[in-house]
Amino acid sequence: MARADLPESVFSAPAEDRRLETDSRDTITWANVRRSWLAYALLAPVVVLLLIFNYYPPLLGLSRAFFEWRPTREAAFVGLENFSHYLLHYPESGREFANVARFLVYSLFAHVGMPFVMAELIFAIRSATTKEFYRFLVVLPMLVPQIVAMLLWSHIYDPGLGPLNDFLEAVGLDILARDWLGDPTTALYAIMAVNFPWVASIGTLIFLGGLSQISSSVFDSCLLDGCSWLRRVVSMDLPLVMGQVRLLVILAMLGATQSFQIILVLTRGGPGYVTSVPGMTMYTRAFNTGQFGYASAIGLLLFILGLALIFLINKTLRPHHQ
Amino acid sequence: MSIAMTRDTQQPPTAIRLQPASGPRSWRRPRIGVHVAIAAMLFLSIIPVYLMVVVSFKNPLQYLHERWTVSFPLRILNYMAAWEQIGGYILNTFFVAIVGFAGMVVLSTISAYVFARMRFPFREHLYYAIIALLLVPWVLSFVPAYMVYTQFGMVDTYWALIVPRIVNGSIFGIFLLRAFFAGLPEEIFEAARIDGAGSFALIWHITIPMSTGILATLAVLDFIGAWNDFLWPFVAISSKSKRVISVGLYLLQADTAGVGLGPVFSGYTIASIPLAILFFALGKYYVEGLVESGLKA
Repeated sequence: MARADLPESVFSAPAEDRRLETDSRDTITWANVRRSWLAYALLAPVVVLLLIFNYYPPLLGLSRAFFEWRPTREAAFVGLENFSHYLLHYPESGREFANVARFLVYSLFAHVGMPFVMAELIFAIRSATTKEFYRFLVVLPMLVPQIVAMLLWSHIYDPGLGPLNDFLEAVGLDILARDWLGDPTTALYAIMAVNFPWVASIGTLIFLGGLSQISSSVFDSCLLDGCSWLRRVVSMDLPLVMGQVRLLVILAMLGATQSFQIILVLTRGGPGYVTSVPGMTMYTRAFNTGQFGYASAIGLLLFILGLALIFLINKTLRPHHQ
Repeated sequence: MSIAMTRDTQQPPTAIRLQPASGPRSWRRPRIGVHVAIAAMLFLSIIPVYLMVVVSFKNPLQYLHERWTVSFPLRILNYMAAWEQIGGYILNTFFVAIVGFAGMVVLSTISAYVFARMRFPFREHLYYAIIALLLVPWVLSFVPAYMVYTQFGMVDTYWALIVPRIVNGSIFGIFLLRAFFAGLPEEIFEAARIDGAGSFALIWHITIPMSTGILATLAVLDFIGAWNDFLWPFVAISSKSKRVISVGLYLLQADTAGVGLGPVFSGYTIASIPLAILFFALGKYYVEGLVESGLKA
């Protein structure tokens, strides 16, 4: 699911695969299998480890989603009860899915839109050294570990001595100052505003890479037709980086549906359940109350939601060259 | 198109005459507005980093009175206090990152070599069975994986940190390296085979020396991943002595309530130094690693 754009690049026989043209040693006969003992012996460790640590857990999760499953206790089959409880009887699930929808809209803007704007602005700079300098400044905030960035923002929002309230008071907007993460009306938006204006991101680098690969003849022909910068960006650049757009849209959507790290770090879903998402409930059910079957069921729901979104993107956003 | 070609083949006089007089070249000329917009957004992005460094040198009184500027004297002792708290976490993270990478790169190189350079039945089936794991989302395996590691008695040991770095990491490692190894010229391998080189000699003396660039990218990518990993180490490790840096910093707040923000921000700064060194030492690979990590995340 990560690397969700893989199906094309991986499964459609890339160029190098043609160099590995099949010969008689590839055909499946018992003699060939025996002759290839060395290849199998060399692959054995990775295959065994992957079976234990990467195939077994998700399959276990798929089945245990239908069980009452707690540490130290025998798992008991309960059918769809985990799903029906979370979706129908758990009072916060509606709010949690609404928050996911909000995060989806926000992510498209913050993690696809803003990086694209930033990349286009930097790309419009002519001097190579200036361009390089700006790109360096884009990377600079990314040298801070993600957890540190989140913790820094939680200090920025601090209701007592935090820089944000300090700044607001300094410019005479004291009335706006508040406990940003503790106030139910602002908590969710405060989480979204972390890393504002969201341009120091991998997305900007990915778009810059995509833009730099567009042939200069495209720009020259556009130039001779006398089109404006905006016109060029919308009707030439955007279609030509559609592959990157699609990748980042998929990553943004998976992030919005599945990740809850930032919520765990900043608010733990609070105040109350205002900023909670299904992933957060999955986490607390598993690691605070020990309901691993229930948590697996939420994980399965999120998996299906992610799959549906990717399917939707693959149907709507097609790269230019296809 | 033909005009563009003319321009590209460097015939200056023609090219100049072909420039339209109205000057639509303007969208290639950096206008002041573009610089202002970029600078404003970068300025806002860098404020938290700036505050982190500036505040890391302050005592509580300095923080109260001059939050935004550098204040003297610099409280270097904040860094000593911070190191006392998080030094162990940093060493733990290095240990996990290095051992994890060593295991991952050995496993990935051998497997990728086998998939790229050897012929055997079921090769493609096996390869896709491994690569398909890249498509399994972590939400599906996060919770049950904890139970599996519990069954093996690995929870709250270094194994719980190292094993996923090796095994999980090898999936992407095999994907990245196989494509690269398959592109290496067959003639060199053929010549070495005629000289009697076995599989391990081919890997060690031919494949690895020709793949240092991609291995560096993989190393940087893996290190960034290890340094940023938070959620899994947070649930898998409970004893303080085995904490990694991200978890240690998250739980630090509670521990240092009385001493002011200075030492806490010093800790954040210390935790940022390894990634900064990596970036300044291996800039190109770092950016490539970042981009690849975006694809992998």
